[in-house]
Amino acid sequence: MEPSQRRSWLLASLSHPDRIETLARCGADAIVLDLVEFVPEEAKHAARHEVVAAIATVRAAGAAAFTMVDPELAYADLHACVWPGLDGVVVSRVESAAQLREIDELISRLEHERGIPTGAVRIALALETARGNQDGYEIACASPRVSALTLGRADLIMDLRPEPDGEIHLMPYLMQRLVIIAGALGKTPLGAWWRAPDRGLLATPQNTYQAAQRGRAIGFKGTLCLHPDQIDPIHRAFA
Amino acid sequence: MSKYTVRRSGLTMPIVTARFVDNAWRRGCDFVILDLEDSVPQHMKPHARTLVNAAIAKIARAGTEPFARINHEYMLADLDAVVWPGIRRIRYPKTECGDEVRQMDAIITRLERERGIRPGSIEIDPGIETAIGVTNVYEIAASSPRIREFGATSGGYDLSRDLGVEMFVDYDQFVYVRGESELAARALGLGVRVAPFVANTSGSVSDGDHAYRQAEAARKCGFHLGTGGLNPAVVEGHNRGHTPSDADVRDAHWVLEQYERVLASAQTWLTIDNRVIDRYEAARARDTIDWARACAERDREKEQAVARTRAALAAATGEAG
Repeated sequence: MEPSQRRSWLLASLSHPDRIETLARCGADAIVLDLVEFVPEEAKHAARHEVVAAIATVRAAGAAAFTMVDPELAYADLHACVWPGLDGVVVSRVESAAQLREIDELISRLEHERGIPTGAVRIALALETARGNQDGYEIACASPRVSALTLGRADLIMDLRPEPDGEIHLMPYLMQRLVIIAGALGKTPLGAWWRAPDRGLLATPQNTYQAAQRGRAIGFKGTLCLHPDQIDPIHRAFA
Repeated sequence: MSKYTVRRSGLTMPIVTARFVDNAWRRGCDFVILDLEDSVPQHMKPHARTLVNAAIAKIARAGTEPFARINHEYMLADLDAVVWPGIRRIRYPKTECGDEVRQMDAIITRLERERGIRPGSIEIDPGIETAIGVTNVYEIAASSPRIREFGATSGGYDLSRDLGVEMFVDYDQFVYVRGESELAARALGLGVRVAPFVANTSGSVSDGDHAYRQAEAARKCGFHLGTGGLNPAVVEGHNRGHTPSDADVRDAHWVLEQYERVLASAQTWLTIDNRVIDRYEAARARDTIDWARACAERDREKEQAVARTRAALAAATGEAG
């Protein structure tokens, strides 16, 4: 499948390796093996040990295998993740072009050491902070590996809350800005247009369908999600 | 000391209208903007400049922070008239580029030194009210450490005139302007002064209920800084809307109790009573509790200042009688 045709990107926490096979078989186009959001600090070390097996599980189920990494912990996270079979990494909370260049170089070195074709590991950028969004264009230019852009959990990380009309504060602006940056650089914008009171963790399939449809209408090509019952509505909306 | 500067409500008033300035201490606002700009007719500008020093003390006696708004065209003369001990912030309307702010900063720095004001204590508040200002908004926001809070055009009058945009409509006509300004402020770590869109199709500036809804919407969005108003009727609504209710504070304590359960589990989040409890909700709850405390402290401070002023006025009247 062409990377730009991946509609559903289901997060799977590496804190719960026993659930990964089930999640990988739910039909998502990509599984994002998470080392950041849903892994408590004290569980990171153990979670990194699960990555190699998890990549194999995901690929065997026919989904693309991504891992979500923390730029603050890039060295440990990338050493754990960059193995044959990995399609790419979602870099969360990315803040600067310099940070991304370092990540790019580290991936290149690991590709070389571990017998992975050069440039095979792609990057999806999650612009989740104000600084990351402000400098989003420059950051996305910093590595040829970047293939997709998303706001990830910017609403939570930037503490953006609902306005009286149900829009999440600042998100309509940030979404349009992201779509423009992605379009200017030929990258794939990922996201859905959520409205209060939905949060990704609790959204129903129906609300997910509406959010994905609105997202598609403003230019997104697919979206990250947190629950298997969101996959079908996402595929229908981005069909 | 609180990490918050409590600026929920404010009034902009013409410095030349004595009855407004003399009664400002009775209004209960957190700040007053002494205006030398739009509300002062051209022929009264020189007279206006002579009034600021005395007005600062009149405002401050209620525990209210005195601010001033100067004219874009008369930066030098106006700064000379407003930079006095007690002034806390100076608004520079229709800011077009960072150079203007740097020039203003240099003048204020000199006047602070000459007039015995703590160096760097006076804030600059650049107004973004023109298309060119919007274009340069990040550079403007980054142009001086005196800029500690930043907001997009609050009322939008000047910007709507500059661009030919309708003013009182039922949709948010400034999504882009507000977004650019707010993203710049957040990226620079400045305090964000934002009024989420609440339709005001009547154009009334004295609608206390609309003021309350606007301030409450801002607070529920996570914002603490008020944009102020023009009519005393909005002050109470702004104060109340920006202050967490008792129910909000109780709910915040509940969230923190539930978050203890999350921390004790091996999970990063739990669903409790159909609500997600995680570190983000916990952070919001802590903010609500801290902000409520800061508001209560500020209210006490203002009450005490007002009581002292009343006592002093009563004593003066008694002596006179």
